[in-house]
Amino acid sequence: MNSLSTASTLRSEDISVWFGERQVLEKVNLTFPANQVTALIGPSGCGKSTFIRTLNRMHELIPGAGLAGAVYLDGEDIYNESTDAVSVRIKVGMVFQKPNPFPTMTIKDNILSGLRLSGRKIENAEELVETSLRRASIWNEVKDRLNDQAISLSGGQQQRLCIARSLAMDPKVILMDEPCSALDPGSTRRIEETIQELSETMTIVIVTHNMQQAQRVSDQTAFFLADENTPGGVVEFGSTEQVFNGPIDQRTNDYVNGHFG
Amino acid sequence: MSFSVRPTVQPWRRANLKRRFEILLAVAIPLPLTMLFALLSNLDVNLALIAVFLPLQLIAAGLVGVRAYGKRGIGDAALVVITIFFSTFVLVLLLSVLFSVIVEGGRAISWQFFSQNNVYVSPTTSLEYGGVGHAILGTLMVVGLTTLAAVPLGIAMAVYLTQSQSKTRNLVRTFTQALSGLPSVVSGLFILTIIEATQMGRSGFTGALALFPLMLPTVARVAEEALRLVPVDLRYAALALGAPNYRAFFQVILPAAKSGLMTALLLGLARVVGETAPLILTMNPSSSTSLNPFDGGMTTLPTFIYNYLASSYQTSQARAWGAALVLLMVVGLLFGLARILSKSKTTKKKASK
Repeated sequence: MNSLSTASTLRSEDISVWFGERQVLEKVNLTFPANQVTALIGPSGCGKSTFIRTLNRMHELIPGAGLAGAVYLDGEDIYNESTDAVSVRIKVGMVFQKPNPFPTMTIKDNILSGLRLSGRKIENAEELVETSLRRASIWNEVKDRLNDQAISLSGGQQQRLCIARSLAMDPKVILMDEPCSALDPGSTRRIEETIQELSETMTIVIVTHNMQQAQRVSDQTAFFLADENTPGGVVEFGSTEQVFNGPIDQRTNDYVNGHFG
Repeated sequence: MSFSVRPTVQPWRRANLKRRFEILLAVAIPLPLTMLFALLSNLDVNLALIAVFLPLQLIAAGLVGVRAYGKRGIGDAALVVITIFFSTFVLVLLLSVLFSVIVEGGRAISWQFFSQNNVYVSPTTSLEYGGVGHAILGTLMVVGLTTLAAVPLGIAMAVYLTQSQSKTRNLVRTFTQALSGLPSVVSGLFILTIIEATQMGRSGFTGALALFPLMLPTVARVAEEALRLVPVDLRYAALALGAPNYRAFFQVILPAAKSGLMTALLLGLARVVGETAPLILTMNPSSSTSLNPFDGGMTTLPTFIYNYLASSYQTSQARAWGAALVLLMVVGLLFGLARILSKSKTTKKKASK
């Protein structure tokens, strides 16, 4: 496909998040340069998943959600009054923790669903389906049964289908919220390979609990932590090499070496 | 290549002849014993079934259970006996209703009973003339009109209750639940006062109006449950792809809830198709065929049954039973049709494997 758009740079500025009265994130400042893979690590409940959802305006769908700060996509604030959440989500795709293909649709329809759901015209459906499935490295497994129901696939295949579904929208950034947490090692490896290939054309942010995975796939790493009864925040942010092999903060050192969390 | 021969496909079902024999005895002994007892003591059969058969069967099953599994066998055996006993009880009840309708109604049924109306029929006319064609059409039109209004509105209510985060939801839900307890005759009286106040004249339409408050809450509540069962993940998945809310709803949530919504339609139909009281109050009966639900008299199958069953003439009563059988057929046909419609699409896709 030659119409691939270029990756975007994403930057969060002083992002604080509330659920009702409770503050869960305090002033997160992170930059996600184009074509880089950024891993977000940290113990459960420190706000990684919440943070990633602020990057494509999925956060506001939760009742009682509140937010302060700004997120810049190529210099433009996505929380700008004149910016439409829908247009942000088209540019910033998302893969969820649990595979969630549309159960009423076939494999092929799942791939095309993004275009249909955002009301865009579909040209070259066959080509788009093949390219998307190839980029998610699942084409060889499903090419002979594109008209089967998507839920007939295994969990790992479903997750790669969901990645392909996001890719069909040709996003500039793709957010992954623990995409491998429900998968076997084989499927995990394939998804990691996919991430490597995708970073050539887009910016990737991935939440993971797997330290090895963070080291294998990411260029830079942010370590999140929430102390008891205080909102979460970024403790350390730097190149993956530095965060894992020469952490500045003692807490980061303890976490990446498995002393807590 | 070597094959290992599997002894049985389901080893947990391997025959234990001794136990099978005990079970056979436990099943075979209590019933004849009860019958014998009922014959000798002139006890009422129904009473004997509950007072003699059920305890005997429980003891027999309990004994087998104890021999097989010790103490815990008693509970299992009791559960099995009680479930089977009462399911059979309900099944017999249902089948006997069906049986009597088929036997009694069968006498009046013939081709012309479906196609003709009752214009020139007097109580002494033989069953070879006249029919309930006009009442079938009447039922379809009145219930159809109600459905046309109640199903879209009911589903819309369910959408409001499940998809919005509005604060008045609980109020709406409470009212819907209260409305579903509305006695049908009250609904009829309500429309009757409107008819009197506005001088609008009774017609099939006023009948449909009286059925509407009965069907709406049923559809809304069942549809709400159906929509609630669709995982919120799917909605998020759609929105994350850049779908506006309405497209996420129509292309993802609605198809996923389809069979549940079809159930809502069916239960709504079942709620109103046999209603008599509100229609007696709000429609003028008619013996002729009317295709205009907005003007003039119209008869539905339940009101036809009501009018003819009160008669002391045998042929009239036979016609009422016949109409009851036709009503059952119409309901069965509607239900079957709805099931086929709701399943056809997914099975087609599966067949293409």
